[in-house]
Amino acid sequence: MTTTSMIPCGDFKTRYATDTTIFPTATSRNFAILGIVLLAVAPAFLDRYWLNLLIQIGYLGIAALGLNILVGFTGQISIGHSAFFGFGAFASAWINNRFGIPVALAIPLAGVLTTAVGMIFGVPAARLKGLYLAIATLAAQYILQDFFARANWFTGGVAGTIAEPFSLFGFVFDTDGRYFYVVLFYMVVMYLLATNLMRTRDGRALVAVRDHYLSAEMMGINLTKYRTMSFGISAFYAGIGGALYAHYLQFVSVEGFTILFSIQFLGMIIIGGLGSIMGSLMGTAFMVLLPELMQASTDLLSGTAVDRMLNLKDSIAFLREMAIGVVIILFLVFEPDGLAHRWKQIKAYWKLYPFSH
Amino acid sequence: MTMKTALLAGVAIALGASGALAADKIPVGHLADYSGATSDVGQPFGQGVADALAYINANGGINGKAMAVETVDYSYQAPRAISQYKKWSGGSDKVAAIQGWGTADTEALTGFVAKDEIPYYSGSYAGALTDPTGGSGHSKGAPYNFFYGPSYSDALRAMLLWAKDDWAKKGGAGKPKYVHMGANHPYPNAPKEAGESLAKELGFDVLPAVQFALTPGDYTAQCLTLKESGANYAYLGNTAGSNISVLKACQTVGATVQFLGNVWGMDENAMKAAGSAASGVIFPVRTGAIWGGDAPGMKLVQAISKISDASGNAYRPVHYVTGICSAFYMKEAMEWADKNGGVTGPNIRKGMYQKKDWVPAGLEGVCDPSSWTDKDHRGTLTVHLYKANVSGDTGASVADLVKSGTIKLEKAATVDVPRKPEWLGW
Repeated sequence: MTTTSMIPCGDFKTRYATDTTIFPTATSRNFAILGIVLLAVAPAFLDRYWLNLLIQIGYLGIAALGLNILVGFTGQISIGHSAFFGFGAFASAWINNRFGIPVALAIPLAGVLTTAVGMIFGVPAARLKGLYLAIATLAAQYILQDFFARANWFTGGVAGTIAEPFSLFGFVFDTDGRYFYVVLFYMVVMYLLATNLMRTRDGRALVAVRDHYLSAEMMGINLTKYRTMSFGISAFYAGIGGALYAHYLQFVSVEGFTILFSIQFLGMIIIGGLGSIMGSLMGTAFMVLLPELMQASTDLLSGTAVDRMLNLKDSIAFLREMAIGVVIILFLVFEPDGLAHRWKQIKAYWKLYPFSH
Repeated sequence: MTMKTALLAGVAIALGASGALAADKIPVGHLADYSGATSDVGQPFGQGVADALAYINANGGINGKAMAVETVDYSYQAPRAISQYKKWSGGSDKVAAIQGWGTADTEALTGFVAKDEIPYYSGSYAGALTDPTGGSGHSKGAPYNFFYGPSYSDALRAMLLWAKDDWAKKGGAGKPKYVHMGANHPYPNAPKEAGESLAKELGFDVLPAVQFALTPGDYTAQCLTLKESGANYAYLGNTAGSNISVLKACQTVGATVQFLGNVWGMDENAMKAAGSAASGVIFPVRTGAIWGGDAPGMKLVQAISKISDASGNAYRPVHYVTGICSAFYMKEAMEWADKNGGVTGPNIRKGMYQKKDWVPAGLEGVCDPSSWTDKDHRGTLTVHLYKANVSGDTGASVADLVKSGTIKLEKAATVDVPRKPEWLGW
């Protein structure tokens, strides 16, 4: 053993604190810090396009993490996540426009407002499970979408609303390079929050509710409280993600928050790995980058001999959409535990190399 | 290793895509919906734009300079449009102008294009986009947004003016009843208030709006409501797919209403799909002539059409011809910019303001004379109203149906909507 970063064979942990540590080894911690530092210098090297993709991964990743807490960690289901994402977006714009509260404060406030709304819609969750709950959240999706379209005072109705750019002490974060730091900051904070939440008594209670609600109840866990709370936390994350989205685009329209978008959030956490903090981010990155990669490959294909031979021309666009679908299906068949699981296996492979056991 | 191969391929693709634009050409972005929710009309419009740009390149370009056009199908997904926009607007090969498409993405990009000074020619005709300064108080101001044709609101105003005459001509007694129909969404709702307020002004009885989703479905209930309310004129605010469902359902329940379509709500393909139910619908057409018309500019349109249809036999719906106009206004503004300081966004914008009642060369009789000023982006207020006429079984192809006369677009009227300052941006 040349370094101390490797965990020695066998379990030598003697305290609970070492058992619940965020980073099991110093190397993993250093790598995480290095990753953040690398991201922090990214705007100096990347152009707007790549920054835009990273920003997208950031705000969608925060919202996806919220859904993962609800679905992956608590075992509830929601197919109305995009509505909460939208609520956060409108709420932040509204708080800023209506009351003149700075955007920097409006974003967390929007998260709190969305939490309240999430808790209201989470009430049925205290009694319902599975398919019934899914339908209840579907109702939330439609009710909120209709609310967005009608509540002129809040959302500007179907015409949408303007969201001011993020600013701090007079410094305006209105370029991608600047806004990237805002999203990065929120992402690090929100992911750390979630990681820590899962190490607390409450976090473990959520997991207990997921694993077996009857046993959890017998252990003295208040099912109603934790299920509703999970909805609240999930909505909080969606709200923060939505608010970041609003101030990035500087315009919010009801059109964006459809059920399809909700399903996409589910796709992100399933591909990333249910019940994995890191997986939420990996799944989001996958879902954001896949269409771009498919676009680039169809661009390469168009006008080439293959295109002419198969007379693809108009079908190239559909080819891309189909390929995205196929990749997702393949993922679910061959990698049902998500990207996070695959990542763990890769790490295990190198740790054990050259012996596979 | 397969993993390694895949990674290498990924890197190669990424590199290939980023280095696609050549430096000495004028970079132009073209955002189209070929595979998304609005592809039924996005396809012919996008094809018209793409063919026109390719034709310009093949015939001298912009004063001899070729355009490097990148056409991207964004499937009507606003986030994808935005990341594509970032790709186009960042770096050294920043696009000089963009041919865009939908409502959500155009509105989301309005602030960005103003800041980056990139003229944006959209397929969204929302009234809010016509106010470059924001002085009308209806919108924040869209200084770099342009579109060819009347806005949704002005097209509806034209139809209401026509309806008033029509009511008098038919000898209708009392107040005619008007109803706005469509989904509760930005696009169908964009002209709602403008339409209802003018209808009231013109002496219509305005009934509560009837809602139906943007997707095809069973809208019998809505048609029964329409029948019971005794509506005389109904505006269909959605795109073709769901409008077809409404027309069919209303035919079944026997609601005898004069339907008023919108620019994206009716075309030759929709007439074929709806069959006899579409007969009698009045809808606005943005060009002075349609495919097969005898305007002098149709020769150029036909030549452009050969870019994607070498045989010259394809039938091009109204949206295709409009797409050509959209591309050619941009082309002439670019030519002016080229002679006056270079093809940059601000110069192209200035180029748009140079002429009054202007028709791109070669498209006489096709594109309506349009003028833009730095205070008013309502290019044209002339609205050609056509009546859809379907006289038989619509089993054959659109080209054959038009040839045999089963599908006919009959010119009903040309309405010039007054350029009222209070209607700007609304």
